Amino acid sequence: MATRETTPGAILPPPRMTTGKVGWIRNNLFSSPSNGATTIIVAALTLYLLWLFVDWAFGTADWSVIPTLGGTLVLGQYNSDSVCPSNDCFWRPQASLLIAMTYFGILWAVAATTLVRGVALTTAFVAAAMALLPLPFDEMGMDVRLLLVANIPAVFLGRWLGRNTPVGSTRNLIIIAFVGFITVYFLLRGIEGVPGLYPVPSRFWGGLMLNILLAAGGITASLPIGIMLALGRRSNLPVVKMLCIGFIEFFRGVPLITLLFMSQTLVPLAFPRDFPLDEVTRAGIVITMFSAAYMAENIRGGLQALHRGQTEAARALGLPPWNTTTFITLPQALRNVVPAIVGQYISLYKDTTLVFIIGMLDILHMGSSFIGSNREFLPHSRELFLFIALVFWVFNYGMSYVSRRVERNLGVGER
Amino acid sequence: MTNGDASDNGVEDIIIARDVHKWFGSFHALRGVSTTVKRAEKVVILGPSGSGKSTFIRTINRLEEHQRGEIIVDGITLSNDVRNIDAIRREVGMVFQQFNLFPHLTVKDNITLAPMKVRHIPRAEAEDTAMGLLERVGIPEQAEKYPAELSGGQQQRVAIARALAMQPRIMLFDEPTSALDPEMIKDVLDVMTELAQSGMTMLIVTHEVGFAREVADRVIMFDEGMIAEEAPPNEFFINPKSDRAKLFLSQILH
Repeated sequence: MATRETTPGAILPPPRMTTGKVGWIRNNLFSSPSNGATTIIVAALTLYLLWLFVDWAFGTADWSVIPTLGGTLVLGQYNSDSVCPSNDCFWRPQASLLIAMTYFGILWAVAATTLVRGVALTTAFVAAAMALLPLPFDEMGMDVRLLLVANIPAVFLGRWLGRNTPVGSTRNLIIIAFVGFITVYFLLRGIEGVPGLYPVPSRFWGGLMLNILLAAGGITASLPIGIMLALGRRSNLPVVKMLCIGFIEFFRGVPLITLLFMSQTLVPLAFPRDFPLDEVTRAGIVITMFSAAYMAENIRGGLQALHRGQTEAARALGLPPWNTTTFITLPQALRNVVPAIVGQYISLYKDTTLVFIIGMLDILHMGSSFIGSNREFLPHSRELFLFIALVFWVFNYGMSYVSRRVERNLGVGER
Repeated sequence: MTNGDASDNGVEDIIIARDVHKWFGSFHALRGVSTTVKRAEKVVILGPSGSGKSTFIRTINRLEEHQRGEIIVDGITLSNDVRNIDAIRREVGMVFQQFNLFPHLTVKDNITLAPMKVRHIPRAEAEDTAMGLLERVGIPEQAEKYPAELSGGQQQRVAIARALAMQPRIMLFDEPTSALDPEMIKDVLDVMTELAQSGMTMLIVTHEVGFAREVADRVIMFDEGMIAEEAPPNEFFINPKSDRAKLFLSQILH
């Protein structure tokens, strides 16, 4: 190759073969004969597997099992004849979804970041798009589709509220979340004697709705509880410290399945006999505590990783311990453990399928019990479980994506 | 509580240390340190590493707890009484070797946080003060940046501004230039010299002999947890009395 003379000291672009698409392929896929061979073999294998899958998915597979199950996957037996006579309970989960969407809208107005906007709009449009699916909505009536489509106006209503009313302050957001959760709970559970709110015992709640309810409750509550446990474990007060260690070690040391069993037998003992604590709430409490124990250890790890100088600087400025935690150490610790926190959230969401152990039918066990009682679909259980896996994956990938974006946004000025 | 009017209480000796002892486990780090610092005095503390000089200034704002003896800062005796500790920390600003800025806050927020949370100064006023201080240390244009975006010298000047924002009567400097590249050191020392001329009481642990000779009223040399020699800078650097000081000076002055 002819070498052209260069002027000493001139700023030159890098040699062509090291950049651009060709350069990338050379460097990463064919950097040596053995690497080239590996690339070709792996690519061939991948294409072959992909071909097998496509051939199955669009050829032999029969996806009709999914529309057959339809809304049952989403709501379980909630709207079935035996649970809800005259089948008009369907609007209640729908209305709950609308409340959640409105809340997302408020968050969008308050946070004013593209990320929150993306999450709010995506969720609203996905919910609305469900109205277009060929699911057997006919038996549920037209109003169901309308309620689904209403998620889009709901999110914009939330944004309007967030911008034009004082609902968006941190304190109000917490209050609204709390009130919203209670409202949704009573909306779903129903109230004896109130027309339109025919009581639906929580053991009949099911499907994806159950997974989402348990996960939403767990995700919201386990972070603050985890923070308190982590701080408690680092406390100088021996009693507080011992209590927190005991709590954390108990909930981490016992399998979740055992805890779920105990929730049905032992937890009621802690409450008065007539205390209205139903199966779902009990399961939710146990899942939250389990998750909070892990969360606490993640956060404690984040706190311990901080340089001692941070606390010293805050103390030297005269900041009292409480302010030092709130403004200096905790924000940094939380930021450092965002990946671990989201990992815990994903794990929590997947663990909600374990409630089958106490007889509740979440989306996964809704599917398996359907296959069990409708043997003609047995050959197509693969399609059904693949679909359910996809549903979980979409949610978890969503959380994972949000987490990466949050990490990047918070990375400003890091070290 | 003495807050804002302590200068009127007639205390001439702003720091009094009497027979201060400190142990780390079984290691005897401070072995009976006694000295007195007058208002507006500049004291440079020298000594080999491990001699207890940093430990001593850290006992003054209770980052280290002394186990025997007595420390009185601006008329307040250091004890386990939390109110006294808080009161003293409001009087005493500190600058660290590693800057210890808060990496998750902007430069401006680093400076305004403590005045707003501890002294309950409104945000607008705190920000005005912060900008004034950044002006004074020569980097007002960096106010909205994060610490990681600044050079070491700029970070240390922010740290000085952050300490000054609490309007302390005493400033402690723990090797403020030891972590800096040579060309950054002068910027920081200039700020400290200006501060010294403004009449601040300063205790400075440093190896910068030139600075010590220019600014210090007195030099204290620590060795093995004790004060080995205490003298005005000209006397100390030109004609040290103790053999320990002579040896030390021959090592740092080449």
